[in-house]
Amino acid sequence: MKRSLLLAVLFCALPISLAAENRLHQQGTIVRMRMTDCLGAEHPLMQALSGSNRGPSGEVCPEYVLVTDKVVYVIVGKTSDQLVPLAETTRFHFQNNEVLIRVDDARRESRFHVKAMMLRPEWDRYEQIAETEAMTAAHHHLEGAALVDGQQ
Amino acid sequence: MARTISFSLRLTLLSLWGGLVCAAAAQTAVIFSETTLRSDVSEVRVTFSTTDQNNRVVGTIQPTDFAIVDQDRVVRDFRSFNRSEYTRMEVVVLVDASGSVAPQSRLEFSKVIQLIAETQGVPDESFSVVSFRDLKPAVVCEGHCRELYTQAKLPVITSSGLTPLYDSIVFASRMLARRNDHNTRRILVLFSDGADTISLKSFSDAMDSVLDNDIVIYSVDVGSQPQASRGTLVLQGFAANTGGRYFPIAAGTDKVIDAILEDFRATYTVAYKLPSHAAGFHQVRILPTHDLGLQFHCRRGYYYPGKGEN
Repeated sequence: MKRSLLLAVLFCALPISLAAENRLHQQGTIVRMRMTDCLGAEHPLMQALSGSNRGPSGEVCPEYVLVTDKVVYVIVGKTSDQLVPLAETTRFHFQNNEVLIRVDDARRESRFHVKAMMLRPEWDRYEQIAETEAMTAAHHHLEGAALVDGQQ
Repeated sequence: MARTISFSLRLTLLSLWGGLVCAAAAQTAVIFSETTLRSDVSEVRVTFSTTDQNNRVVGTIQPTDFAIVDQDRVVRDFRSFNRSEYTRMEVVVLVDASGSVAPQSRLEFSKVIQLIAETQGVPDESFSVVSFRDLKPAVVCEGHCRELYTQAKLPVITSSGLTPLYDSIVFASRMLARRNDHNTRRILVLFSDGADTISLKSFSDAMDSVLDNDIVIYSVDVGSQPQASRGTLVLQGFAANTGGRYFPIAAGTDKVIDAILEDFRATYTVAYKLPSHAAGFHQVRILPTHDLGLQFHCRRGYYYPGKGEN
């Protein structure tokens, strides 16, 4: 009787724990990746804000821009070989102010510093402005070249 | 009118140059008027080969296996993806004949020459050997190099001499560039210890020349030092930045030839929309989307013309 009761409790608790785990896990898409100086031992967000983001060893680490529905995260690996597959969807969760990502069949999750965060609409707006400026610069160059040629 | 044609030609050449550097960037809109030609380069093409964690060539790749990082932007939507249309190879073997290379290298590069000479798909006229030492490179044979092996006319390695490595790479690149054929894969097999002692050109000049002419470098490290030296890094840099591969001489020349042939048969070309109109050099990397053991070999990037570049 006790055993069946225990099984019943476990059976009921399973969906609840799975739901809790799903709620903790988020998903996003990595839209940018570059190699940059590793962050030191100082708190990474504070270090990024102060501008002293050079690691002590001169080592470079992967930096990713992870876009979710509401927030955009800039995360940095702790070592140079901490690469994440660039799949369409990246599942992650937070622990102690770090982003944890499980890579394929790896036993442990990879931990990333959070270097910066931004609200999604704000980030979209910055992106649009940057691209417009780059396109304008490129067109100015071609028109300038045409003008110089015409004066010759 | 002459000015118009001159300017049009200049812009066309600029576009072609950009296209070559980026493994071909196609013009999608060209508006020609009496004085102005505007070019909107909006597509990038990259040719690559793939190896697994054991450095074996992966013959079949799907577009879902990889993403491209252009500058720092991740691209997963491709306009096209297919096997490359190379039908032949143009090969120059560039041999360091100075005294700094390991004594066994002469035997090894003679083996490579023999193996290339026996390879199907490399016509006799498409295979040349250049050696370098002292002040400048020298063409050992240009076409008809099969006779070189049979007549034992291989370059002699002297116990001393200066090493014009970068000048020789520029020289060999120009030789390879003479064949302006999109179906030909241009390959430079470099036997060297990576040291340069006298070149007028720099490492960057040599790299630019190779990238401008869409050449792949397979470097064979013939250095006599057992540990990795600065020269090793130079050779690895040439291979990695051009989509080729690096081999220590101890790996054996068979591996070099196998790699060249396997890459030739298993290259793919992917095209994607230009992700950013920022002017300047766009660095390109191909990274896996699920299997981190896969390594993708492609050239390091392309120039996108913009403000400040004339």
